[in-house]
Amino acid sequence: MADKENREIATKEKQQLAQPQEQTRPGRYYVPDVNIYEFEDSLKLWADMPGVKEKDVNVALKDGVLTIVGQVATDMYAGVRPMYTEYNVGNYYREFVLNEDIDESKISATLRNGVLELELPKREKVKPRQIEVRSA
Amino acid sequence: MALVRLDPNVTPFGALLGLQDELERFMRNPAFAMGPSGASAYPPVNIFDSPEGALIVAEIPGLDTAKLSVTGTGHTLAISGERQFEPDGGGLGYHRRELREGKFSRSIQLPEDYEAGKAEARYEAGLLIVRVPRAEHAKPRQITVQTA
Repeated sequence: MADKENREIATKEKQQLAQPQEQTRPGRYYVPDVNIYEFEDSLKLWADMPGVKEKDVNVALKDGVLTIVGQVATDMYAGVRPMYTEYNVGNYYREFVLNEDIDESKISATLRNGVLELELPKREKVKPRQIEVRSA
Repeated sequence: MALVRLDPNVTPFGALLGLQDELERFMRNPAFAMGPSGASAYPPVNIFDSPEGALIVAEIPGLDTAKLSVTGTGHTLAISGERQFEPDGGGLGYHRRELREGKFSRSIQLPEDYEAGKAEARYEAGLLIVRVPRAEHAKPRQITVQTA
């Protein structure tokens, strides 16, 4: 892209999740922004989850539905009062239906600087079997 | 000014809920527009107050700290940087493309009681956390009561 050099980031308001299920933990849930890129043999997903630490991320794939959940850490807010605020603090939740056949056992996840990075390898296709047609 | 404050930190979840309520209360209060450089400026910041000073938390996920600059002059704090993704290609393409990359720069004006030049900054879990100490003259001082 030609203007890539001078591109500036614009702020986007966090989108609150319309509760899909009842949660056992209180607190708001927001929809994390994601990039999903497809390769020949895998899918790669990045999700912005600022404020979430490694131990508080949960990724699950069940019946073709990928669920990512991040619980935000709030310990640094102990003993302080908000003076001025521009964004909401809350947990993250998002679900995707994956049309690709993903090998669950090979999914890998890393969390770096508040960005969850998922690698979802596709299941190796069963090789087509050549069927010989014999003449009678 | 409330005379009695309930402690929201009884449970960790209580703390999150309490914070949320306070955030909403303050966001509806136009008197707290302290004059950052714009409501939609990036990165979005929340500013908190404590007896020791101000706590400024900005959401800037996915940053290389080498490309992040924080400077404090007087009672003004300036934040600038750039978020870059690895070049894509060699694949079949994007299914979702919502993350934003590019440059950003903004400055935040604090009340005069704070010394931005003495601020300490940390980048953790995609959050820029800046602690700005209160100026000596603005700190609460214990006054000894003398008997006659």
